[in-house]
Amino acid sequence: MGLFDAVRDVLGLSTERDATREADPEDFFQLNSASVTMEADLDYEPATSAGLCLSAMSSTDFRSTLRDVEDVLEGGGFSEIRTDDHGYTWAVVERDDITDLTTELYVAADTLAERGYGDRLLAAVFGFDPLDGGRTVYWVYSFKRGSFYPFAPAGDHERDSSTEVSLQSVLDGELDVEDDTAYWYPLWPDAPGGHPWE
Amino acid sequence: MEWKADWGLRARMVLTMALLFVVYLAFAGALAWYFGASLLVFALLMGGLSLGQYFFSDKLTLWSMGAREVSEDEYPHLHGVVGRLSQQADLPKPTVAVVDSRVPNAFATGRSKNHAAVCVTTGLLDALNDEEVEGVLAHELAHVKHRDMAVMTVASFLSTIAFIIVRWGWFLGGSRDRNQAPIWVAIVVSLVVWIVSYLLIRALSRYREFAADRGAALITGNPAALASALLKIDGRMDRVPTEDLREQAEMNAFFIIPLTGGTITRLFSTHPATEKRVERLRGMEKEMETTSTA
Repeated sequence: MGLFDAVRDVLGLSTERDATREADPEDFFQLNSASVTMEADLDYEPATSAGLCLSAMSSTDFRSTLRDVEDVLEGGGFSEIRTDDHGYTWAVVERDDITDLTTELYVAADTLAERGYGDRLLAAVFGFDPLDGGRTVYWVYSFKRGSFYPFAPAGDHERDSSTEVSLQSVLDGELDVEDDTAYWYPLWPDAPGGHPWE
Repeated sequence: MEWKADWGLRARMVLTMALLFVVYLAFAGALAWYFGASLLVFALLMGGLSLGQYFFSDKLTLWSMGAREVSEDEYPHLHGVVGRLSQQADLPKPTVAVVDSRVPNAFATGRSKNHAAVCVTTGLLDALNDEEVEGVLAHELAHVKHRDMAVMTVASFLSTIAFIIVRWGWFLGGSRDRNQAPIWVAIVVSLVVWIVSYLLIRALSRYREFAADRGAALITGNPAALASALLKIDGRMDRVPTEDLREQAEMNAFFIIPLTGGTITRLFSTHPATEKRVERLRGMEKEMETTSTA
């Protein structure tokens, strides 16, 4: 937090800057190599689906951009644009390989950014399943922070913080992990037990 | 899409703050000249009080408003909305509180991003739809982001001192030596400073509301929903008898819409007229629909 940030806050300009900050979806590709570590050191394999969460705008041009996103995701496997109970929009893709998942979501995010809606992107969520069964854990990419954080849901609205800490400790370095846990926002599924986009 | 910067608002904000700074600088100089060393004790005392208020602002405000911090289990949807809006605004999630009141309103408090609270009344949750609640919460988060609590505390500090001198100056000036100006000079100077700074602070507060509205629209990407929320709240506020709410009047500066409307002249109000705010939000809505990058 530098002096300029403080001045921006005081002049009431920082919301404008931070809410409309451009995102860098290229960071997704860090997951391709990180998934090897996830499997080798922690016994998690990449889940076959991932989701891109965005906050829609109520404009005609935005809706047409969403249709473009839908078009680029079609072919190659299942994909879907859906709205959750919070009113947020998700682009969900199902692929067998983690590199395909990161690429597809990169293309979706890039399409939005190219049409000038990069600032509407909230998070990209990639699941990892434990090899011995159990609850899926997630690496969430925050577009606003430009970093990843772990999210391990347990029960209805509880988090398994010890799992999250071990994910952070092992993957820090390979992924840009958010240091400030105040920004580790949960993304609860609409119904308990589902993925955040379900 | 890219939003056009609101240079008029920025310029007015900077100008108001600069004027306030000049007035305060002159006032501090006059005080130091008049009171000398005894001023230091007084300033330390006032500074301490002000600092205490500032540090406990989140707890104090929530307590004085009868607000109750609510857990995620009680209000899962509200928590979810606040969480996602904070994420969009790049803020840590603030404390979420609810006031049990039929009057639809909301406020934000707290000294910093990490010690912030947003509060809504049950009436607000009942009266507005999801999109409108989102707009109002985004407005409060923009206040947090802009550090309005800190800015207004600093801006009001010397004004409060001027007010105290106007009120209690006669007792302070008892044992002055003869070659100093009489105490009424200090009182008149303080009175002028108080009136001028009062008007400037009110103007600053109004500009900050516009800035928070703008911030809210950028966070949600839905200026129209906030506009309709403001209109709904405003419509309801008019029908609520003001007598019952008078004791809450000093909290107005932190409300989304002040409790007493209409009778106070524009110059004295902490918030801009709802029509003006709605007009600006409509402008943003229009900008959003007409500037397409395709």
